[in-house]
Amino acid sequence: MTTATEEQNPLLEGLRVRRRPDPCILVIFGASGDLTTKKLMPALYSLQARHLLPEKFGILGAARTEESDDEFRERMKQAVKDHGRDEFKQDVWDELAQGMRYSTLDFADDSGEDKLRDTLNALDQERGTQGNRVYYFAVPPSAIGTLVQEVAERRGAEGWVRLIIEKPFGHDLASANELNATIKERFQESDVFRIDHYLGKETVQNMLALRFANGIFEPIWNRQFIDHVQITVAESIGIEGRAGYYEQAGAIRDIFQNHLLQLVAITAMEPPIDFTADSVRNEKVKVLKAMHTPGPKHVVRGQYGAGFVEGVDVRGYREEDGVAPGSMTETFVAAKLFVDNWRWADTPFYVRMGKRLARRETTIAIQFKRAPHPPFEDGGAEGLRPNVLLIHVQPNEGVSLAVGAKVPGQGMTIRTVHMDFLYGGAFREGLPEAYERLILDAMLGDATLFTRSDEIEEQWALVDAIVAFWQRDRPSFPNYAAGTWGPAAADELLHRDGRSWRRH
Amino acid sequence: MAQTLIEDSWTGENVSIAQIERELARLRHASAAGSAQPNLRTSVMTHIAWAPPEWESQAKDTLLGMAERHPSRTLLLVPRPDEEDGIDAELSIRCFPIGDRAICGEVIDLTLRGARAIAPASIVLPLLISDLPVFFRWRGLPPFRAAELEQMVGLIDRLIVDSNEWGDDLPGPYARLAELFDRTVVSDIAWARTERWRSLLASLWPGIAGVRELRVHGTQAQGHLLAGWLRSRLGHAIALEVDERARLEGIDLDGTPAPFPPGDPPNPSDVLSTELDRYARDRVYEAAVRSAAEQ
Repeated sequence: MTTATEEQNPLLEGLRVRRRPDPCILVIFGASGDLTTKKLMPALYSLQARHLLPEKFGILGAARTEESDDEFRERMKQAVKDHGRDEFKQDVWDELAQGMRYSTLDFADDSGEDKLRDTLNALDQERGTQGNRVYYFAVPPSAIGTLVQEVAERRGAEGWVRLIIEKPFGHDLASANELNATIKERFQESDVFRIDHYLGKETVQNMLALRFANGIFEPIWNRQFIDHVQITVAESIGIEGRAGYYEQAGAIRDIFQNHLLQLVAITAMEPPIDFTADSVRNEKVKVLKAMHTPGPKHVVRGQYGAGFVEGVDVRGYREEDGVAPGSMTETFVAAKLFVDNWRWADTPFYVRMGKRLARRETTIAIQFKRAPHPPFEDGGAEGLRPNVLLIHVQPNEGVSLAVGAKVPGQGMTIRTVHMDFLYGGAFREGLPEAYERLILDAMLGDATLFTRSDEIEEQWALVDAIVAFWQRDRPSFPNYAAGTWGPAAADELLHRDGRSWRRH
Repeated sequence: MAQTLIEDSWTGENVSIAQIERELARLRHASAAGSAQPNLRTSVMTHIAWAPPEWESQAKDTLLGMAERHPSRTLLLVPRPDEEDGIDAELSIRCFPIGDRAICGEVIDLTLRGARAIAPASIVLPLLISDLPVFFRWRGLPPFRAAELEQMVGLIDRLIVDSNEWGDDLPGPYARLAELFDRTVVSDIAWARTERWRSLLASLWPGIAGVRELRVHGTQAQGHLLAGWLRSRLGHAIALEVDERARLEGIDLDGTPAPFPPGDPPNPSDVLSTELDRYARDRVYEAAVRSAAEQ
């Protein structure tokens, strides 16, 4: 038995004490933006409601918009009411809001940074946060480098500093390298938390549980048994007024470079030796390094034209506000990728992502090889499709396994049926939003679910190579109607291999 | 809590287990009729509650509150040993919407009359869902060493009691409870309800290390368990005084009130639901019970 004379607190044993972060201030650059309103503040409220934030905690919003502390609090309160997953409770809000401040900041003006530092120091004194800071960069990539320098120059002697950096991290390999270099001059890699919010999703983490907590899957999780993998990240919405960003990014930078490649990495990675940040990220980097650049025939890009989404008549991409009439920005990408290692050699990973597709859906489908010789009479197995393990990342989070089953009655007729595990069916707790988990992890200094600099660089190297050969041709855009599953060329990508996209 | 989508039920008197299984299958089939997609029968455990008639109403309320969170096959056993032999059953399928599907659990209320109340394990055994854990909630003071409890301990994974329900006999029954620790995992709702206070007391370390007198404004069970916990963790004697209240309202350490823990106390369904998420043996609780029993 532990005794009181021991240094450790014997009363803590057996208590389900969740680690609570050190006292700190969260500084949000870009506090007037959509991300703060729709994701960050509702996530902070949910953490507060569950007593997961530090007892001594403050929030400092910083943005160009002129706003008083009270106006900022009022706007954030409305944001929590509009976008929070929890019922709004005044006492929870009051506790969070009393440590909330706002500072108007012109990112190009040094004096603004000095004012921000003074506000921070005053808040630090008031809240007892011991100089610990988490800086959340919810700003365009072009602004991050300067802000990082400013933060480093004004760093106090006390406490720790952590940087949470939103995607996209850079615009290409060169800019990502430059930003990484700027950061590394001033901060350790362990201080940097590059967010890809997909990694904060419960179902993405469940992929790790599915693979590495179940002995039945890993032995068949390889080229011997898997015919191919299909990953779909589909959105039914358009660009939602973000033409300025999207015209520069396109689907390849918006989704492929980050979310999509993370899903490939998690699907294909080897078992890590433990669940520490470096062990997990080492394995993901190995996958990215093993992916060779797909040739031009293995990548399809598309842009949506006018069409109908859920019965509503919608405009084409080029008709969206702020989009150039002759824009060549892709809103859809499909590709056939290969991971060249012992486990996956010659096993295609077909991926597709895009906007204004038929429905919102993110899935990973593992299609297994067919049974070698179904011993049934002619026609008996006509309705039988290959086994598919389907991971529903969103919506309807869960896992389905398609298996063949005998149709009741005379004869031996086989039909494919689904065995479903719905996440919400077995665990009726509401799933936490990805940002709740990620903000908390960053405060705790746990980088497992964040992207490391070498991952980012491998991702951009692949994207740059694809974009380079796109410069050589000019496809006929638009090439798919809104509300469909993308251009015909995406179907041909699989048909050439005798395969097809999953039926929806 | 989400609205119950479908609730279909069947009642029968003097029923057999085969009849129960048959009617359950029929109810499952009926609950899915007319749906575009079949409902999912989702189970994470078999949950059994032993509720003598005086506890029946409370047991049903608690089960209703947690059915959605723990889709399971729930068996509510109401013993009526003084009545004529027989089993009466009320079966229901409760479904909750999730997206365009519904998740369904099964509730089997069995009144065990006469001799049927003596051998509950033989009734429960054929109704367990294979390969899933079995949680057993005993309402009131269990008849330690009696046949009905001994049989059930042999087939369950976790026994859940609430020593708040044990009346004025405390701390005596804790010694009997401790005899079960090597045979099944035991949870105590009274102990669970002290958790946020224990967290609070732990946060007072190291100042709390030398505490010698504990005054608990709460139930007898909470007082004995908290004192047992502190004695076993700190390794020295601590005098206990209980200022009896219906719920834990405060703790004095050597005459000084401890601060109040943050947050609201959980409701009964939440407490039971949390216990159903636990699988491992709680050695700290066991040590607290043994220490409480020694007083």
